[in-house]
Amino acid sequence: MSPALTLARGRGLASRGGRRAAAGAAFLVLGLVLATLPTFASDYTVLVGYRVLEYAALAQAWNLLAGYGGLVSLGSAAFIGIGSYATAEITIHSGVPLVPAMLGSGAAAAAFAVIVSVPLFRLRGLYFAIGTLTLAEALRIWMVNWNGFGGASGQFLTDTAPGNHEIYYLSLVVLALATALVAGVLRTRLGVGLRAVRDNEDVAQEMGLSTFRTKLWAFALAASVMGAVGGMQAARLSAIEPYGAFNLQWTIDIVNIAIVGGLGTIAGPLAGAAFVIILGELLADYPELHVAITGAILIAVIRFAPRGLWGTLAGAGLPAPLRLLARRRG
Amino acid sequence: MSGSLVARTAASRRREREAEDPGAPLLETTGLTKRFGGVTAVDSLDLTVGRREALGVIGPNGAGKSTLIGLLNGAHRPTSGTIRIAGRDVTGAPPHAIARLGIGRTHQVPQPFAQMTVLENLMLGRLYAGEPASFSDADRDCRAILERTGLGAQAETPAGRLPLLSLKRLELARALALGPRLLLLDEIGAGLIEAELAELIALVQELKRDVESILIVEHVLDVIQECCDRVVVLDWGKKLVEGSPSQVLADPQVAAVYLGTGSASAERRRLAGARAGEGALLSVEGIGASYDTFRALRDVTFAVEPGEVVALLGANGAGKTTTARVLSGMLRADAGSVTFKGTRIDGRSPHEIVRLGLVHCMEGRRIFADLTVEENLLLGGRNAASKAERATRLGRVYELFDVLAMKRNDSGATLSGGQQQMLAIGRALMADPELVIFDEISLGLAPVVVDQLYGALAELNERGVTMVIIEQNVERGLALANHVHVLERGAVALSGTPDELRGDPRVRALYVGEARGEA
Repeated sequence: MSPALTLARGRGLASRGGRRAAAGAAFLVLGLVLATLPTFASDYTVLVGYRVLEYAALAQAWNLLAGYGGLVSLGSAAFIGIGSYATAEITIHSGVPLVPAMLGSGAAAAAFAVIVSVPLFRLRGLYFAIGTLTLAEALRIWMVNWNGFGGASGQFLTDTAPGNHEIYYLSLVVLALATALVAGVLRTRLGVGLRAVRDNEDVAQEMGLSTFRTKLWAFALAASVMGAVGGMQAARLSAIEPYGAFNLQWTIDIVNIAIVGGLGTIAGPLAGAAFVIILGELLADYPELHVAITGAILIAVIRFAPRGLWGTLAGAGLPAPLRLLARRRG
Repeated sequence: MSGSLVARTAASRRREREAEDPGAPLLETTGLTKRFGGVTAVDSLDLTVGRREALGVIGPNGAGKSTLIGLLNGAHRPTSGTIRIAGRDVTGAPPHAIARLGIGRTHQVPQPFAQMTVLENLMLGRLYAGEPASFSDADRDCRAILERTGLGAQAETPAGRLPLLSLKRLELARALALGPRLLLLDEIGAGLIEAELAELIALVQELKRDVESILIVEHVLDVIQECCDRVVVLDWGKKLVEGSPSQVLADPQVAAVYLGTGSASAERRRLAGARAGEGALLSVEGIGASYDTFRALRDVTFAVEPGEVVALLGANGAGKTTTARVLSGMLRADAGSVTFKGTRIDGRSPHEIVRLGLVHCMEGRRIFADLTVEENLLLGGRNAASKAERATRLGRVYELFDVLAMKRNDSGATLSGGQQQMLAIGRALMADPELVIFDEISLGLAPVVVDQLYGALAELNERGVTMVIIEQNVERGLALANHVHVLERGAVALSGTPDELRGDPRVRALYVGEARGEA
């Protein structure tokens, strides 16, 4: 609903300031609806809302990497899994409450990102994508086969799982922070550097930018958000096991949501998450159709609206990773 | 966070300046060498750029000029030799460290951050390599540079949407944003029309007042003449001549390097070809083509009769290779038509055009290094109807280049440059073409090897193969051709027989650019 709203107002008001005011108003309305949703909606709606917010936060983190930095990472599941396990271990062993444990998860995932950055950043473009995918899959297989942290069968958390409203508001705060983080980074030197790396890594370096450092910042920041979301997910399920926590499906869903929503736009991840998750709910009774329709939509978006739902509506520039896919022959 | 980053940059800048020797030249290379595989692009080069000096570097295609710029800004690592900036050894330093020392460069082919605005393109260098500044100060400085370089009105435009001249300006503006002491300008004049050139020359002259030193690599000799204090001529990666612009441009050695030496008198006989009146095998009518915003071809028209050799000549960036790419279907023309054997071929895909009998032997050889010589050749003969046919063609190629027969089972990587070029020609012939486009086959090869290659072309032509040859080396092109067309900035500027063009001062002017009443 909100993209259409902004579009309508954006068209009516020619000036930049006017458009900004319209976007601000739309944002306010959206914030109000999201903040008050549990007071009037059913439990089912609140839970769907939680999933939308959770995936929007994940896609926002990936958006920083891929949409703004051109770093198409397919290793998201690794950071979510590490986050899940970190929160589980912290709450089980120390009795620390969920929120600080989630911060620990973010730190653990970021530390992992720093460690693997040295070999991974030697790879560029598609090779980087394959490298991160391989790494995440290797980590999953390791966690399944290793006996530590409960081995293949996992373990239960000792704390009581947060209630529906609690987890909803927690995810809302996580999304708000993730969005503020990305929007904030874009206003710093790092934001300019990251987009330059996306557009032309070699020339960015010739302008005095250490591409390794720039990419590492983005990689670690995105990892910390994914780690924190992983921690939240562990608390929600009240249990962890390697198949779910490190599941490749996380990675795929995040890519799908970010692309459908619009890479390189601030509102794209939320728009994409709302669209994809709600569509999934509507098609819940037809699982085979669900996968086919989701696939067809992704292909259609890449072919006909490579800027994504939000990007197309807002008329933003074409994001770099999609230019390759979207380019016509000749 | 940003506060500490700024402080660190300021402190490190101070430390870096303290490590320098104020008496040393701003840039000095000793024995600088760069090899790519077997090719030595820059060969034991000693070069100095003094303080408050503008040095021009010229030389023919493949002389090592762009490699030199890449070495100086850290994009390439030297194979041997040292680079000093203000007396400090920076050999092997990464590009971002060199940029932070105040070395800015432009690129021959503009490389903007296409999705960022023009202003943001500048902000990057200002924030990362320039004097430490807050965002708003950096914004103000960058806007000032944009005003100076005539891009003020486009500050908020995405850089990818700029036309070529503006992109060239952006290259310069972006290099200025990092507050350079030394500017490395790589062919800023290439592809510009007269009026645009004059503007750029004025801009560079103005810059000489606030940038300490400038190194200009340029094919457009007007720029060299108007802007440089001293000129170095490179050939084969080595320093050939050095001196003031007027001295160097008058030097007969320099003219020889650009125009090629006429060692090919044996080839200079009229070849059988050119059976006039038989109707053109290939006819090109007013084709135009662009790379993004760059108009590479504006209006190229010529015809090739069966059995004829047509040479396309012209300086770097004139549109020769682009024409070849359009003919072979690699690039789509957006105007005009190409007709081969009575069939329109513009818009056809490359493999269809090969099947019709038009083959493009591409610049830069492009052989498959991991395949053997014979495998490379067989790939070119995939359109043969039978195995026997393919074997016949293979035999013909081995007959023409016996060294390929000797090396038939060696991998492509083990061949010398000349042998690689023979293989590339052989592979083109394997398609049994009626017309072959030979693109810069003499590039980077020793004269004796070029003699051999051109001998082979003459033999092929006698056997009835029609050819379009693209050459920088004017004398080579004139020696073999029946008709010559000289391209300039994407259009045919001069046409005629080799004899007509050989004495024409305009040919010389197109290459050496000395039409300004010197000789």
